[in-house]
Amino acid sequence: MAQDLDLIRGTLDLLVLRTLSWGPMHGLAVTRWIEQSSERRLQIEEGALYPALHRLEQKRLLQSEWGYTDQGRRARFYKITAAGRKHLSSELSRWSRYTEAVSLVLTAAPA
Amino acid sequence: MIPTHPVEADDRLWRRVRRVFRLPSTRRRRAVELDEELRFHIEGRIDELMAAEGLSRDAAEREARRRFGDLAHYRSQASDIDEAIHRGRVRMEIRDALVREVRQSVRTLLRTPVFSLITVATLALGIGAATAVFTLLDAVVLRPLPYANADRLVSMASPVPKLKGQTRWGVARHEMYYFLAQGHSLENMGVYQTSNATVLGRASGERPERVRMVQTSASLFNVLGFTPLHGRLFVPADNRLRPPTVAILSYGYWQRRFAGDRSALGQTIDVEGYPLTIVGVLPPNANLPDLDAALWMPAYVDSTTNWNNHTWSAIARLRPGFTAQDAERDLAPLTARLPEAYPQVYGKNWITRTGFRTEVTSLRDAVVGDTVSRALWTLFGSVALVLLIAGANVANLFLVRVDTRRRDVALRTALGADRSHLAWHYLTESMLLAGVAALLAMGTAYTLVHLMLALAPSELPRLSEVTVGGASIAFALGAALLSGIVFGVLQISGGHLDLAALRDGGRGATTARSRLSARRLLVAAQMAFAVVLLSAAALMFRTFDNLRHVHPGFDANGVLTMEISLPDAKYGGNDAADRASNFHEQLAARVRALPGVTHVGLTDRLPILSGDWCTGITIEGPTPETVHGACPPAALISPGYFETIGTRVEGRTLDWSGMDAHDGLMVVSKAFAEHWWPGQDPIGKGAKFNGSKPPFYRVAGVAEDVRALGVDKPPIEIVYFPMRPIPGAPLPGPPTYMYLTLRTTAAHPLTLANTVARIAQELEPQAAVANPQMMDTILAKSIARQSFTMVLLLIAATMALVLSAVGLYGVISYLVVQRRSEIGVRMALGAQMGEVTGMVLRQSLGVAALGVVAGVLGALVVTRFLSALLYGVTPTDPATLGIVPLILLAVSALASYAPARRAARIDPVEALRND
Repeated sequence: MAQDLDLIRGTLDLLVLRTLSWGPMHGLAVTRWIEQSSERRLQIEEGALYPALHRLEQKRLLQSEWGYTDQGRRARFYKITAAGRKHLSSELSRWSRYTEAVSLVLTAAPA
Repeated sequence: MIPTHPVEADDRLWRRVRRVFRLPSTRRRRAVELDEELRFHIEGRIDELMAAEGLSRDAAEREARRRFGDLAHYRSQASDIDEAIHRGRVRMEIRDALVREVRQSVRTLLRTPVFSLITVATLALGIGAATAVFTLLDAVVLRPLPYANADRLVSMASPVPKLKGQTRWGVARHEMYYFLAQGHSLENMGVYQTSNATVLGRASGERPERVRMVQTSASLFNVLGFTPLHGRLFVPADNRLRPPTVAILSYGYWQRRFAGDRSALGQTIDVEGYPLTIVGVLPPNANLPDLDAALWMPAYVDSTTNWNNHTWSAIARLRPGFTAQDAERDLAPLTARLPEAYPQVYGKNWITRTGFRTEVTSLRDAVVGDTVSRALWTLFGSVALVLLIAGANVANLFLVRVDTRRRDVALRTALGADRSHLAWHYLTESMLLAGVAALLAMGTAYTLVHLMLALAPSELPRLSEVTVGGASIAFALGAALLSGIVFGVLQISGGHLDLAALRDGGRGATTARSRLSARRLLVAAQMAFAVVLLSAAALMFRTFDNLRHVHPGFDANGVLTMEISLPDAKYGGNDAADRASNFHEQLAARVRALPGVTHVGLTDRLPILSGDWCTGITIEGPTPETVHGACPPAALISPGYFETIGTRVEGRTLDWSGMDAHDGLMVVSKAFAEHWWPGQDPIGKGAKFNGSKPPFYRVAGVAEDVRALGVDKPPIEIVYFPMRPIPGAPLPGPPTYMYLTLRTTAAHPLTLANTVARIAQELEPQAAVANPQMMDTILAKSIARQSFTMVLLLIAATMALVLSAVGLYGVISYLVVQRRSEIGVRMALGAQMGEVTGMVLRQSLGVAALGVVAGVLGALVVTRFLSALLYGVTPTDPATLGIVPLILLAVSALASYAPARRAARIDPVEALRND
């Protein structure tokens, strides 16, 4: 679990921002989205999502508002802000540069 | 566990209320919302698991919680973040509100620049003046002396009421050992004497200089808590050597004379003919209270020095827990037993015969003194009054502003403008004005403090400690803060809920009238304060004028004086007096020959400058009578002295050939002659110093009385002996330390001092000439305390007068505007211009008269505090207290004349049309 957390910490913010970039969602929907789009390969402890969401809101990358679900239940919805989108795009390119570099090393073989 | 908060209707209602009233969310609300959010997640999962995987509710809940992880941990993390978000929001809101309010206030204030400017200037002047005098008061009176444990330091003196009235003797050296050994209240004690000493130049061609010197017991440094900057302080062994062998330099003298070079330690300097080795340097500011001593020398102090020599200053440090009164009670029985303890020093009945006792005063009181602290408190009181008057003017301005804004405000209130917001706006406005005023006030105070320091009498203690520092800034800010709040509240209370303003066609007659009477009262109060200040200033002016016209018994105009001292080491021995007299005679002859010099004379006691002193005189008679009941001062003079200083003498005075021939002629003052030879011709009578056997000096002339202790003090008896004694009748000492006086017609008399110094050093290379001063400067300085107080009071009174005149002008002008239509009606009904002018003037003088009456009553109480400073005028002088109200009424009439004229020129048609 602790290992999971360490792995996730840096990337959870990125995952959340990416997820919310498709539209406003409440926390459970974000969890589901990550779960499904990762084909259940990313085992995130679900509770860890909430500190991340609130922290992102503190950084003004997200905004939250209370609203109602399709089933008419009250839930807190998160929405990405303009600053959040900007942050996301720079983080995305940083991430892809990083993973490319790592995979280059990992796939390189001695000539 | 998640506490279950049912989302009930009242919860929603609360949320709505909160939104409408923009109430900040509470900590409880935030906790509830966080729980709701988390519960939504888990409940959603449970539903999902039950539907998709067919789990029972319990199993689904277990699975949901497992997937969620440590709920309490995540909850607290999220909650911490929520609180941080909330704090940030609150901070931002406050900052935004502040910026918004200030920006808005600046904008409105700039729209009324005259109001803002006058308000700021008036406040800045008032606060600045008060801060300046507070700075002086704080440094001189309030702040403790700059020593460790300053509150435990006391000074000692001995009144001898049956001998010398109010005069105090010092402490004798043996008393220090006696008190320390037998008393319980003293921790340590030091004795010292201060004098001027001649320090010879180290190289040939370097002139000897005169410096302030302290001769002290080693213990004084311990009492005052000094530590050496370099080298060492004195030790008791230094005090047992005669003559002394070591010296300590003050920091300033070390810098000046040795350029701060450490090699000064170990060097030898020649002080009064004695070679002294420099053993230490004191740190900066280590000095006796209010004395800028350059040089410290060990005094001859030993437990065996038992002489009736009560001439030493003494400072002691009390043991913790003792007060000055405790110490005085502790030392009283010891003092009474002095004759038993020192039978060789005191006669048996000495204590009862003299009324001798030991007085212990806190060092601060001894340094500052009652008259000084009283004078400074008086001045502070007067500038506080000026500040009040300035405040009243500003208050009036604010009230006018409230009136002019009344419709605007009422309209906004009626339209639902937030009242608290208006209040905040007023407060921001007045605080802003006060803040700007505070900044300007500090600049004003800084300037005024330096002006006062330039003007201040040199005997005002602790002037070197006066700086515009933290206390002054705190005072200015405090005064500004207070006025900001007061004026803000004044506007709020004057401006709120004035809905009547809308109804009555915009004039708001009733409310305006009550405010107008409040403003009249303010102006009346201003007038009253101005009367008090003006009375005080007038009394001081009368005092100053009286003092200037007192005939001191000499003619100070055109008289130059300087100190001439001959080295003690060289002018000692039996023939010292003759050798010193020869020197002075040659010096006088050569100085008299200088162009522009009409008379030259010497004396060892200069009026005003020398202060009080006392010499035992014996009068020739059937039974020689020692004059110690009154102990008249004796002075040594040279021929030519009376002619130079301008003291008239009936009969003969001294002449050089007679004195050189030992003719034994002397002069006595008129008061002395009348006291000791009442109804007789004093010419030819005999008197001498110490001893009852002939020869006696013979009275040749009677000099007019001299106010030697100050022009505000009565004249004293003086005996004038020739500086060259006759054989068999020695005098108090050889004339090695004299004042040379010369009367001159030169345009720049002070330049003569250099010439005199050159001549003196040609005659005697070790002679030091110092402190050339004009006698009229000395005289002016002696009344500087009165003139300083007078100048400051005059400034304060002028400010008060101008400010209250402006206040009256403002109120009367406003009154005329208010009553425009009424005046118009009157004029339409045939009132003459003169009648209208008279009506307005009567109104105005009514206000002024009210203030003047109150002011005179106030002055009768307040001026009593001045009585210690007054001379030749009583605190309730009818002429002064009578003329001040007239001045005030005249100024009031002047201030209201313009508005009255304006009233008379009102066009009735226009006035009525505008209504």
